[in-house]
Amino acid sequence: MKKYVLKRVVTAFFTLLAITLILFILMQLMPGSPFNDEKLNDAQRASLYAKYGLDKPIVVQFFQYVFNMFRGDLGVSYKISKNTPITQLIASRLPISIGVGFAAVMIGALIGLLLGLLAAFKKDTIWDTLATVISVIGVSVPSYVFALALSYQFGFKLKWFPMLFSAKDVIGSSVLPSISLSMFTMASIARFTRAEMIEVLGSDYMLLAESKGLSGNKLIFSHALRNALIPIITVLAPLIVDLMTGSLVVEKIFSIPGVGSLLVNAIQSNDYNVVIALSFIYSAMYIGIMLVVDILYGIIDPRIRVAKEGD
Amino acid sequence: MAETIAAVKEPYVPTEADFRLKNNTEDILVDSNFASQSFWKEVVARFKKKKSAVFGLIFVLIITFFAFVGPVMNDYTYSGQDLAKKNLAPRIPLIEYTGFFDGHENISTTSGTKTINLYFENKLADTFYWFGSDNFGRDIWTRTWSGAQVSLIIAVAAAIIDMIIGMSYGLISGYFGGKVDMVMQRILEIANGIPRLVIVTLLLLVFKPGMLTIIVALMLTEWVGMSRIARAEMLKLKEQEFVLASRTLGAGSMHIIFSEVLPNIIGPIITQVMFSIPTAIFTEAFLSFVGLGIPVPRCSLGSLISEGFNSFTTHPYQIIPPIVVMALLMLSFNLVADGLREALDPKLKEM
Repeated sequence: MKKYVLKRVVTAFFTLLAITLILFILMQLMPGSPFNDEKLNDAQRASLYAKYGLDKPIVVQFFQYVFNMFRGDLGVSYKISKNTPITQLIASRLPISIGVGFAAVMIGALIGLLLGLLAAFKKDTIWDTLATVISVIGVSVPSYVFALALSYQFGFKLKWFPMLFSAKDVIGSSVLPSISLSMFTMASIARFTRAEMIEVLGSDYMLLAESKGLSGNKLIFSHALRNALIPIITVLAPLIVDLMTGSLVVEKIFSIPGVGSLLVNAIQSNDYNVVIALSFIYSAMYIGIMLVVDILYGIIDPRIRVAKEGD
Repeated sequence: MAETIAAVKEPYVPTEADFRLKNNTEDILVDSNFASQSFWKEVVARFKKKKSAVFGLIFVLIITFFAFVGPVMNDYTYSGQDLAKKNLAPRIPLIEYTGFFDGHENISTTSGTKTINLYFENKLADTFYWFGSDNFGRDIWTRTWSGAQVSLIIAVAAAIIDMIIGMSYGLISGYFGGKVDMVMQRILEIANGIPRLVIVTLLLLVFKPGMLTIIVALMLTEWVGMSRIARAEMLKLKEQEFVLASRTLGAGSMHIIFSEVLPNIIGPIITQVMFSIPTAIFTEAFLSFVGLGIPVPRCSLGSLISEGFNSFTTHPYQIIPPIVVMALLMLSFNLVADGLREALDPKLKEM
């Protein structure tokens, strides 16, 4: 187990290093220099380059860059708000993004679970078909389609919830974005729960438990559900990816002042420094979560651990 | 406790009422007699049995048909602007007499909602925009279908190219094994750890967006999954007799990989390609929304949605056609892929 965890951690570290290298190379390729202000003369420009360490050899710059990134110094924004440290820009936005994302996962997991269980217990009935249709639509239709539809119907037409995010009503204005982001989570969990539950319900140990005379509730909760739920973490990875991409557009649609809309703004206003810094944060978060998921897999299903150690 | 002792003394005899039927008739297999038929015939038969897959295939075909025929069905072009005829609601000849698609639209003002028909107000009795016209007076029908065409071309091209790259990578890694496999898998693990969207976004920032750069960027997102599948299949097959036979006859590695093993794993590969098409459509739409999509005057479904978004509360008809086409396209491709997966691999458990 120790060997497995160590191996995962080392891989994650090298992945993060590789990402930093790619980001650094891309930053060198970005058109234009951060100091292409015409009012600057050559001497001023040289002193600015010296101040930010841009006059040093490229290898030194890279190590400096890696060192700064890992230390939490992400540089300053050049365009969106001049000379503001990017960490400061992000600090207020990250909690909002995480809040909406967390709410989406919770709503999605809960409804998905109920839907999956309903479909499994009422297999081959109209409920099952309904749940399957909902989950197919949820998996295939992108979250911003839901976001636009919900925002039009409940925000614009019915005016139940605000169309745009407002700091005064954080909970109310998070409802629609969270629901639209939760669709994919809900659909995948419903699909997965149904498949697992049907398999577990048909297994021999369920037959044994049933023939021992266990009551219905005990049968479902302590025998079937427990075993069906363990593999649910295998669907976590795609969910995380979807949440991250979905949040970029959904935040833009509802003008949520989160990290996603900051990234979109930075892309649109060519603020490369912010784009690179946010890419680093997204990658670090993604790699971190993947690492946790991978280790959880190993703990729960030793077969995976053995297979990966055997490589 | 007392009950147990009593039970020992006098054994309990279960009665009929203690038993319940398990109702597992559907699990009991009934033997049926199949005439031998070719693999593809069987696949088609199994595919046809799945209604949702057939439904998906029909929609994919309809949308593809319109994507190529739709833009030439009327006289408008996808980039032709006419500012005198901007923001007109959908109006279709003949159907207009039913009250739908007659060019009326509801405008909400401070004093309430009022219905107007710009076609009559602007004296355009002979003008018909089937899906309406946008902010620059461009025909939304033509733009939707030519956008669908661009999205489809990008998605299919990206899916096919990443199939070729991912498949070759996986097959080679699986076939040679040992050190080659070790190095190739480490590289893959690192590539897999990088959030794809970040890389696609950054690549498009550096290399200015165009059809080709978008295809190249999308290609980079899906090859990892493809190569995993190819490698797993290769590991299953490479120890089999037909590979040994071929090697004994003196076949080279490349011949074994691409002419012996490849034809045997075509099923999972096709399924994976079908799954990666909707992903590519989605990613392209996302890029357009962020402003890194197909440059104007060309349009894709994504860029149409992002244009329509700017006025979707005042003129909702402008965003509905591209969004419906895209949702249907992604849904249908997923349904077809699901059906194909089951049709190509009957051993797979029902999901």
